[in-house]
Amino acid sequence: MLEWILFAVCALLLFAAMVSFTGAVIGAIRFGFVMNSMHAAGIGDTFGILCLVVCLILSIGPGLNMMKLLVILVFLWFNSPVSTHFLIQVEYFTNKELYRFSDRIAGSKTNETASGEEK
Amino acid sequence: MKERFFKWFYGESDPMEHILDCAEVPDESREEWKYEEHEIEREISRRVHTQSVIRAERRGFYAFYLIIAVISCLMLIGVLLFTVSQLPRYGVENPRAKEVIERYVEKGLEETGAVNIVSGMILDYRAFDTLGESHVLFTALLCVMILLRLDEKNKRTRYENYYTVLADPYYDISTDPIMRIAATITLPSIFLFGIYILLNGQISPGGGFSGGAVMGAALIIYAAAFGFTVTDRVFTYRMSRCITFLSLAFYSFAKGYVFFTGANGIPNGVPKGTPGAVLSGGLILPLDIAVGMVVACTMFGFYSLFRRGSIGGE
Amino acid sequence: MSVSQAYHILFTAGLVWFAILIAVMLIKAIIGPGVTDRILAINMIGTMVICCILILSVLLDENYLTDVALIYAMISYIAVLILATVYIPANPKRKRFGEDVKREVEEGRRYVKEQRAEIRRKMEEEGFKGSTPPDMDGKEL
Repeated sequence: MLEWILFAVCALLLFAAMVSFTGAVIGAIRFGFVMNSMHAAGIGDTFGILCLVVCLILSIGPGLNMMKLLVILVFLWFNSPVSTHFLIQVEYFTNKELYRFSDRIAGSKTNETASGEEK
Repeated sequence: MKERFFKWFYGESDPMEHILDCAEVPDESREEWKYEEHEIEREISRRVHTQSVIRAERRGFYAFYLIIAVISCLMLIGVLLFTVSQLPRYGVENPRAKEVIERYVEKGLEETGAVNIVSGMILDYRAFDTLGESHVLFTALLCVMILLRLDEKNKRTRYENYYTVLADPYYDISTDPIMRIAATITLPSIFLFGIYILLNGQISPGGGFSGGAVMGAALIIYAAAFGFTVTDRVFTYRMSRCITFLSLAFYSFAKGYVFFTGANGIPNGVPKGTPGAVLSGGLILPLDIAVGMVVACTMFGFYSLFRRGSIGGE
Repeated sequence: MSVSQAYHILFTAGLVWFAILIAVMLIKAIIGPGVTDRILAINMIGTMVICCILILSVLLDENYLTDVALIYAMISYIAVLILATVYIPANPKRKRFGEDVKREVEEGRRYVKEQRAEIRRKMEEEGFKGSTPPDMDGKEL
């Protein structure tokens, strides 16, 4: 009976990981700006991988492989924010039309795009 | 505190206002002046230089060298094609299909002493192929060096009028503190992981090539995070040359000794060890280390050459 | 039905769903207008491939696949880093349009402040009609 309870918990955790990764993918596609989609991608990198690794640890049991899975988890948690930091720097330094929508918010006429179009 | 929050909320103060103040802005007017003054001089010197070089290239010892090189290449191609035509054809009668596979699979563990039969094959039965692959890596590094290395000839024309990445702290991301902290914490583990993969060639999947790739990747992260001036103190051109040459020479001599004794029926004095331990498999572990060193130096050499045109900062 | 069969079905379903997500992300990598969209898509594909490999290592009961997943995580991390070192200095006019954008944003804010000051001045002239309740017409609180 205990095995079936463990199986139920594993299934629930895997379902949660699926939902978070689906949300991350849909968010990465549907947002118009890259910076917002990076914010959505962070859901998958943190919560999704946590649920998945905990589910796998529960189904494997203690031992060497559990430590390896924990090492992968810590590595990914440590390095995803650094990657995001540099991606945002790439976006800031290569996108000429980054401020094209602050025109509508501020209501001014001076925030034109670099090529001179009016919005 | 509330006033500061509402100031930010209604858009009257900007927290990111002063984020680029401490970065030095490059002096654009001076760059343009340098461009105008050296432009004409560069054009003249380049044309004269290449004409004299072309004239020198087509006479004397150089012409003799070209002819001999072409003839020796054709001879080598002819010899190899003749050898290949003498091999048995594809098909069911080919000994490769029946006898060789059974021998490798059944007696691989006893004869090589390695639990991982793939490593046993590429470094014991077929070590000559792996030697050729290591030499291919070495030759690839030499070719990239010939094409991309900065000499006196192309130093002036290539880097003078662009925004050079090394000399400009405004564009160099190795001054980023986040990169340095992340590299300080994760790089020792990555390097140790590469060494772990190297030493486990005969027990689990891994071996020389993948372990060397991981170590090369760790060196690349180090050079990108801390800059090339710090890396040049450790990894010079002379060290890269010594490592690759000594590894390949050790590989050739060790395997040559084993081939010699095996062909003449003399037992070689290499211990097999217990399968499953780290020190097992005869010569597989030292050869793994040699191959891993060559791969790591090659990968870092490629990155350094593509980035700034020289391996050790010469 | 035994527990191991149930685990088998569960993990296979997870693998199939991850494969669908990877395919959708690949479409974004092709479409996405701009450099950063594509680098982000490749990073996400890498993370999902790591998840697939981890599930496979439990499904097939092989221990060394976790080492493969760790190498993959490292390779995707170093790829984003090195691409950033290529793309950040690559625009030679970067200083120019960065400075231009800052100047434009400051002008926009000054314009908004002027508009608000003008509106307030007009309201002071007209005596705040319409912005206060009718029985307090013209007087501030």
